[in-house]
Amino acid sequence: MSATAAAPIKSVDALKAAPDEYRMAVRKIVRSHAVNELYGARVYDEPAIALAPTPYLKWLTCRIAMEEYGHHVRFRQLGEQIGIPESEMTPEGRKPLSIFEFPLTTWEEFCVVKLLADLAEIIQVEDLMKCSFLPLRNLAKVTMPEEIFHSQFGKDTCTELIKTEDGRKKVQAAIDRYFPMMPAFFGKKDSANNALYRKYGIKQRTNEDMRADFLKRVRDLVEGHLKLKLPEVAEAA
Amino acid sequence: MSVSPRGPADAAFAEFAAFAAAVPALPWFTAVGTPLTATVIAAAETYVVALGLAPCPVAPVGGWREAAAVTQRPDWSRDWWQAENANEQALRRQGAGRFGLEPLLAALTALTDISVGLHECAAAALAGAGLADAALAKVAAGAAAQACHQRGLALLAGDGAGRAFTAKFELFAAGRWPLGIVGGTCFVF
Repeated sequence: MSATAAAPIKSVDALKAAPDEYRMAVRKIVRSHAVNELYGARVYDEPAIALAPTPYLKWLTCRIAMEEYGHHVRFRQLGEQIGIPESEMTPEGRKPLSIFEFPLTTWEEFCVVKLLADLAEIIQVEDLMKCSFLPLRNLAKVTMPEEIFHSQFGKDTCTELIKTEDGRKKVQAAIDRYFPMMPAFFGKKDSANNALYRKYGIKQRTNEDMRADFLKRVRDLVEGHLKLKLPEVAEAA
Repeated sequence: MSVSPRGPADAAFAEFAAFAAAVPALPWFTAVGTPLTATVIAAAETYVVALGLAPCPVAPVGGWREAAAVTQRPDWSRDWWQAENANEQALRRQGAGRFGLEPLLAALTALTDISVGLHECAAAALAGAGLADAALAKVAAGAAAQACHQRGLALLAGDGAGRAFTAKFELFAAGRWPLGIVGGTCFVF
């Protein structure tokens, strides 16, 4: 059976009969999510527990870290089912994304990471919710409510922080430093990988489309809601 | 087929496995807001002193909203949180010294996977109180998962170590939520 957007692959077993390049494309996406969900939990969410300013926020961050780790577990389990070696689904086996190179040192920075990076993740997961490989589509659907909560957490905590002048400055400074890393998260313009994903309906949108959507939504959030400024960045990766 | 423990490691991991298996069935958050019994107060006092902190009054918390407010007060005890961290680190070193870091982390990861389900218990308890507060359910679940992790560490450290975390876990196992030391008082919900 060929895989197209009109003829979804309904199960892990059915994937075995799909074209090689379809299977490779699915593996690439699953592997990337498995690696980056784990690495994000390690470098941002776990360290943020110590930075959180109250027990309430420490325990909430603890739970968020568990959920991010849980996303890794779900992607890793799917990866194992479709034949990805376990060693390739950890940051030790595959290089994580560049957005994780931002050194986290303050609570305000963590809140901005959740505000920006989790919105970017939502846009990626929204796309996967229409994926032609149904086990991946279902995984995206299960993951989405927690991603929405994490993004809302970023919005709520930043909204609270900017009530003081000092907090406002710190949130703006974190946005100024972190936001420039975000456009590259969506991949290169005219990416061959993305073209392959779209050919088979694994992804629906170009990297440029998703990046433009992110920039619009993040502008509404940062400039419209928080009344802060987004730094100018090159929009094309 | 049952396997009899052959040595200290087998016995410790068997005890740990039994603890982990029992976690989902405990009455999580079912006694929150009810008057504190003498047993609960004694466990809270043991928890504080075993952390190496000065004894302090133990006080009840009447409802979920009050619990949320207590855990957001600015006068929470940094010494309390740091004492927990220091205890955790000591237990981790002790456990890793007994069994190696990798088996220790593998066991604790399995326990974390189990404690993920405690969110449903917290959400159900909130719903039972007529509240729908997704964030507070996650806060409570995070606190419960942390207590499981700490009790698990104590079990693997062995030799009766981690008395504070054993007492803290007893409170959770009794359907309570110890909220920590705030304003010089140990609050138990």
